Amino acid sequence: MSTKTETPVKKKNQKKIQCFWSWVIGSVILRLIIIYFPKNLNLSSRPEVSTPLTSIRRLAEGYWLKQSSMSPYAGSMYHGSPLLLTLLGPLTVKRIEGQPDHLLCSLVFVIADVVTAMLICAAGKKLQAAYSSSLQSIGLHHLSEDSDILPSGDFAALLYLWNPFTIVACVGLSTSAIENLMVVVTLYGACARLAPLAAFGWVMATHLSLYPAILIIPVILLFGYGPDAPPRKLFRQRTNLEVDDSASGDRSCLEDELVNEKRMLNVFSWRPVVLFLFWALLWSSYVLVLCGIYVQQHSGLQEMFKSTYGFILTIQDLSPNIGVFWYFFAEVFDFFRSFFLIVFHGNILLMILPLALRLNHRPCFLAFVYIVLSSMLKSYPSVGDSALYLGLLGLFAYELKDMQFSFFLFSGYVGVSLLSPVMHNLWIWRGTGNANFYFATAIGYACLQIILVVESVSAMLNHDRMITKLTTAKLQNVKS
Amino acid sequence: MVENDSVTEKKPRIRPIVRLGFFLISHSNYVSLLCFLSGIVALLLLPILANNTYISENALMPGSANSMLSTQHVSHANKFINDLTHSDIESHKTVAQYMSALDAEVTYHKFYPQLNQFHPLHFFTSSDSGIISKNISCSSLGINVAGIIRAPRGDGKEAIVLVTPYNPKKVGPGEALSLGIAYSVFSLLSRVTWLAKDVIWLVADSQYGEYSAVSAWLREYQAPVFHEAEIVNSETCNDSIAISELGQNPYSDRNSYGGFRRAGTMAAALVIKVDEQGNHHEDSLNIYPEASNGQMPNLDLINIVNYLGVHKTGFRIKVKKMFSLLGSRWLNTLGGIFESLGQIARSLNPQWKFGISATEYVEGAATLASSMYSQGLGVPTGSHGAFRDYQVDAITLKISPKDSPTKMIRRNDFILRGGRLIEGVIRSINNLLEKFHQSFFLYLLSSSSKYVSVGVYMIPFALLVAPLPIVAASLHADASKSTLQSTYSSEVEVSHKSWKWLNSARKVLVIHLWGAVVSLLPYFLYQIPNSTPTTNFTVWGILSAFSLIILYFILGSPIFEAAPSQPEKGEWASLKSVTISTAFIGLSLMSVINFATAEIGALLIVPICLMARPLKLDAQARSWRALLRATCNLALGFIAFPPVAYFLVKGAFEDFNGTNVGDYWNWVESLWTWNSATYLYVESVELT
Repeated sequence: MSTKTETPVKKKNQKKIQCFWSWVIGSVILRLIIIYFPKNLNLSSRPEVSTPLTSIRRLAEGYWLKQSSMSPYAGSMYHGSPLLLTLLGPLTVKRIEGQPDHLLCSLVFVIADVVTAMLICAAGKKLQAAYSSSLQSIGLHHLSEDSDILPSGDFAALLYLWNPFTIVACVGLSTSAIENLMVVVTLYGACARLAPLAAFGWVMATHLSLYPAILIIPVILLFGYGPDAPPRKLFRQRTNLEVDDSASGDRSCLEDELVNEKRMLNVFSWRPVVLFLFWALLWSSYVLVLCGIYVQQHSGLQEMFKSTYGFILTIQDLSPNIGVFWYFFAEVFDFFRSFFLIVFHGNILLMILPLALRLNHRPCFLAFVYIVLSSMLKSYPSVGDSALYLGLLGLFAYELKDMQFSFFLFSGYVGVSLLSPVMHNLWIWRGTGNANFYFATAIGYACLQIILVVESVSAMLNHDRMITKLTTAKLQNVKS
Repeated sequence: MVENDSVTEKKPRIRPIVRLGFFLISHSNYVSLLCFLSGIVALLLLPILANNTYISENALMPGSANSMLSTQHVSHANKFINDLTHSDIESHKTVAQYMSALDAEVTYHKFYPQLNQFHPLHFFTSSDSGIISKNISCSSLGINVAGIIRAPRGDGKEAIVLVTPYNPKKVGPGEALSLGIAYSVFSLLSRVTWLAKDVIWLVADSQYGEYSAVSAWLREYQAPVFHEAEIVNSETCNDSIAISELGQNPYSDRNSYGGFRRAGTMAAALVIKVDEQGNHHEDSLNIYPEASNGQMPNLDLINIVNYLGVHKTGFRIKVKKMFSLLGSRWLNTLGGIFESLGQIARSLNPQWKFGISATEYVEGAATLASSMYSQGLGVPTGSHGAFRDYQVDAITLKISPKDSPTKMIRRNDFILRGGRLIEGVIRSINNLLEKFHQSFFLYLLSSSSKYVSVGVYMIPFALLVAPLPIVAASLHADASKSTLQSTYSSEVEVSHKSWKWLNSARKVLVIHLWGAVVSLLPYFLYQIPNSTPTTNFTVWGILSAFSLIILYFILGSPIFEAAPSQPEKGEWASLKSVTISTAFIGLSLMSVINFATAEIGALLIVPICLMARPLKLDAQARSWRALLRATCNLALGFIAFPPVAYFLVKGAFEDFNGTNVGDYWNWVESLWTWNSATYLYVESVELT
């Protein structure tokens, strides 16, 4: 691109940043307006928003039990972390005269959302800088300029903030806002190479909802290899060529670049990984000690594990939600139950390894794919989970520009999210429908998520192929 | 670009289903025309495809026992009617007196007539509406009388409800007769041994409308609201003191209770009415099943009434018809054609029995049209609509006597027949072990003994709507292709080709947002006191225009300024494809909520969506075909607009006049808005 066009681009960026802040404030205002609606539009009792794990009403119940010196897990009402009880519990009790109930809780969730968005934005900027520099180092300068045009961090942050799913989950007082925050903290910490932060995020996210445990693989890859980059063999080819070139020609001008590429090529740096693992150990023991102190009087940590992780893994609550498990486990015979539990949970684990092998040069994208998979196959999914991965999708806006069926996916999401409450109404309130109606929308939703994963992964691989082709063509040009 | 070509060339082998999809998309014009026409034909075929009803629940066993209602009960009822019409004391006292004489538990239910309120968000907010009525003068207090017979064999957990609306200020002869029928049945039921469900007889005070009385009683029954304010308010009223005295009245005695009494969950409810006018050929019975939002009671309830009416008591059972259609010539010719087609088919193979006679077809079509109209409008056809909101199956039975009820010679005979029918129905329902669940909830009636089930009537709708996704897909494909070609040179443009639709999606979103705002406005307008319908309507119109302008400035300006820079044709195609897909989503959604509305909406919207094209492009083409199409578009737009406007006006007026209540407004109004949003949007497409 010539210098003439560069100034407007800069101006545009500045304008966009101004717009960015006004959009952020707008989203906060929108949330506050909806919070002030009477009874929050009853969002907190909708099955799409609050699951047994994330419902604020259950949390308030657990806090009440704890206050009356009983175990917060008595009566199978609360299934979350004890740390959330200490953080949010007092806020559920406090009422301000003339203000809506749970106002303080909602404010916490709004803040959590905004912080999440900021972290996504920062992580996006880091990713983008790293990506364009790596593109430059393999000689694809025009592509790196292209990738700079779309500020994917801002885009992803706004996507997260303005996504109706996020808004609904936030106003519906679902604790998934905090779970999402912890996941994003993990990713940001890993992108910024802050081992303590990433370890904290990972430990907390795992503690809160168990499924983010699988994010340890992308985080280790992030620490080991650095953020997303084109396939590594391209660098190797490129360096070979440079070494050949520099052997014959001048050495000095390429020295800087070579050092840079050495870092890229540096196969796997163990030091930050070990640091991360050490911090993870530290944080997890810390969290366990805190929890232990909290539930000390009531049969200790064992009960906590039983009614949080055990509750997640054995799927005891079969009340309807937007996942597919409740229906299946309501139908299945009791003596097959454990078998199918293993099969269903094995589904997630089965896909971890192949994906990690195929996408190991793009750890952030790998984390995105893991999040989509786990929010599709988790036992109590809610719209808050989809809010997270749809926001992260924005981070890869440049790479996924050629994604197919984007319009179909968009209409599908709109259709399913409108149809689901209607089917629920037909089933529960009108009595003219039945459980199959509602489950049909859950299946449709799962299918949409599968299509999203398949299409995004294939678009990413196509993007890689394109880069490979361009570099090899360039190398051949240079050689001939 | 080299890479793109290679990617497309990489897939030479395509699976057959994908090839079929491509074929459909590439011939979208013909396919959509075919689908649309076949949809209309299938719609016209519905009366032929109707099945005979049958009683699905075995436990009902209608008509298996002999009727126990005797002339003795009827003479008691006659006395009751005479007392009611001629006595000096207030009529609800008479009713209560007679009820308690039958050992029933009698309670009064005082209520304030519910002012009609429009709750746009009712559907999503909650099922129990904690509506608090304020600032209502004491004079407008209504009194329902409810008598409960406890079943000797029951556990008090289930109940059957009889409702007789009447106006206590002026008891008409028809109302008196309906009360008499109910009384005769009630007096029988208080003595029988087979009763397993409690029987509630609700004498609803209909001076402020039947529906509001019944719904107030139901609200108190199902979802009582405890507020101090209201009680205090009612205590201060002089009227209410008079009412509270009622309970201590010396001769209205032991069985009168102060509080509100309940009798378990309701299995079914029957609303009994008698037509004021006589002069029919024979005694007939009209069934009104439609509740709010096109909900229907279980088909078995209608089946019992139909079976008992036809086989036991000899009533002529009728369902509402659209009489204007009966005489229409084109329907008769169509019926003739179908009849002859059926005969031909039968001559080919005697086992094909789908031919029906022309008159039968016309009658079926008229009934079906009226059934669809009243379901589609979403207004309940009687006070039974209030029950359906609590999942209780209910119908209104309107009995039309041969002679006028005032000078009826055979009044006793009439009461006997009506009473026997009601007794049979109650005895049948009494046999039920569970809630009504066996038979259909989603159906259209084409006569009292014929129905079109959901599996059948969805076919024409699916055919009508099928063109929308196909056309949207083909337009989307066109749009992305054309932008790809036109902006091949600049890489930046190509890079967003897959997300091209985002811009148009934003536009559609803005328009729909505006539609939502407009539909929410009446709710706020309703808060303004002392306003007439006309001023409200004008304010509404002005406000909606104003909000459009604001939206245009806030959200619209960046969108509209971006538009001209893009190639116009591709832009238009993607815009249209986004609209059509939203229309498709909306219609399918509506078909789940209220089929009839969706069907009528599809008939209107689908042709508009398919025909819309920007005028500018047509004018540029300047061929006669393009001109024809443009005129077609304009004509369609013009035809489609008046109904929309009419509906809007009517809706606004009805809303502010307060004739109808409840969440049906939500749907009807949302459909209208949605209609108008689409229309406006199509307009904007045409004018770009």
